[in-house]
Amino acid sequence: MTRLPPPLEALVTALKGLPSIGPRSALRLALYLVQTDAGVAQSLAEAVTLARARVALCDRCGGLTEQQPCFLCSGSRRDSSVVCVVERPTDVLSFERTGAFQGRYHVLGGKLSPLDGIGPEELRIALLEERLVSEGFQEVVLALSGDVEGDATAHYLLKRLGNKGVRITRLAQGLPAGAGLDFVDELTLSRAMEGRREFQ
Amino acid sequence: MHVASLKLRDFRNYARLDVEFSPGCHLLLGNNAQGKTNILEALYLMATLRSFRGVGGSQMIRHEARGYFVGAQVVGQGVSEIKAYWSPRERKLSVNERPVRRLSEYLGILRAVIFCSEDLNLVKGSSQGRRRFLDLILSQTVPGYLVLLLRFAKSLKSRNALLKQVNPPEAELEAFTAELVLAGTAVMEARNLLVPRIAPLVRFAFRRVAGDADDMSVVYQPGFRGDLAVALANARARERLVRTTVVGPHRDDLLIQVNDRSALQYTSEGQKRTLAVALKLAQAEYLSEVHGSPPVLLIDDVMGELDAERRAAFVPLLNQVFRSGGQVFMTCTEENWPRELSQDLIRWTVQEGKLVAR
Repeated sequence: MTRLPPPLEALVTALKGLPSIGPRSALRLALYLVQTDAGVAQSLAEAVTLARARVALCDRCGGLTEQQPCFLCSGSRRDSSVVCVVERPTDVLSFERTGAFQGRYHVLGGKLSPLDGIGPEELRIALLEERLVSEGFQEVVLALSGDVEGDATAHYLLKRLGNKGVRITRLAQGLPAGAGLDFVDELTLSRAMEGRREFQ
Repeated sequence: MHVASLKLRDFRNYARLDVEFSPGCHLLLGNNAQGKTNILEALYLMATLRSFRGVGGSQMIRHEARGYFVGAQVVGQGVSEIKAYWSPRERKLSVNERPVRRLSEYLGILRAVIFCSEDLNLVKGSSQGRRRFLDLILSQTVPGYLVLLLRFAKSLKSRNALLKQVNPPEAELEAFTAELVLAGTAVMEARNLLVPRIAPLVRFAFRRVAGDADDMSVVYQPGFRGDLAVALANARARERLVRTTVVGPHRDDLLIQVNDRSALQYTSEGQKRTLAVALKLAQAEYLSEVHGSPPVLLIDDVMGELDAERRAAFVPLLNQVFRSGGQVFMTCTEENWPRELSQDLIRWTVQEGKLVAR
């Protein structure tokens, strides 16, 4: 069996280690990179190195940033009375795309998951408590996922932060915009019914 | 509802099988160890993604093959093309070329009820089998039940993981207890509603199969009384000792009684078998009632185990299936196929992993 030249083999192995890239895609990408214009490979390599060196998690909110603190934490235009608690840095981007939230963010870095050995110490909860004091938030919005772990984490945060004199709210759970009722599962539908509001 | 075609690759003793089925009653004839039951197993797998023999995926792969493939075309309200591939490394499941992401979206495409010798465990075995029986009926009839059940299972597992820690963290325990109570209470409510609905069907089916004056009843027996949150709070001391969740719907049972006495202790082997058949008949009849059309019936040599009189109890159900264009698959060795069902049978010979129409 003929083998790939060792540097190419190494590239394939490195690509294979990336999420959502299987052996075939890894090989295809590697073959492309070694056969295309040298500039393409060069600029890709530089972009990877630069991004890795410059992008870090914000010390304050835990979101992705190039400067400390990030512009979402330092921006004076933002509402500094409310903080939105999310699981992952990408959740911040999702909210920012909507433009519906103008406050600050706090990324937990995951959710409570005893089966994966993740407890409160593994999450950025102590940092959130510090920020409640130092930044004087009046409202904490819990924007966690709706599965067992997400709901348990929300419940845990409510107990832990509930006596600190801040208002704690939670995202509404209900129908996706533009969807017919037939496509909504029962649990979502019953939660949407429970969380109904005055129609004005 | 019926299965219009079945495709097997490296499944049990079938290297390659492509076969088309019409609605009606299919009789799979053949000697032992030719692969009759494997057909039923493949069909049941399409319905529930489990083997009724209680084995894992690797045991269903043909000897020395890498993985198995089972495909079926199911005609119900629409036409669904199911494809399932399983190997120790890879699992794929798609319906009409679209990958299935959630189990709860899949179940219900094919509804099937199996009658097999393992059914005896419903009466003789542990309460787990009886909970599974109730849960399967509920997932086949109540939309959203499976989602609830999975949420309950996840919160139970998480909670038990916390209890196993050297010093179980109270605050976290409380958070997962809240989830457990929410999902667990809903699971118990659903089971509590279901049992009185199937009880008359079970009783009636038992009368028909047993043909005598014995009276049978099924009663939902929750593992505790009252409010789940309160029961969990009261059990805290015991939980600290045994390091696991001791109350909840995972301790429920279905109490089976004959003439008001526990079936487990006071019935003969033959009676237990009759009880098991009655439970399954009730399941099939309940599914027909709820969905307006009977499920596909998979009957594995049960007829052979029952005498002619008891077999006759199947006839009303089978007639209903024929009237509504449903489908039955029955395995038999040549000698003992039931004569009273000789009308409009579609006969197949199963020999060494091949299916031949007769």
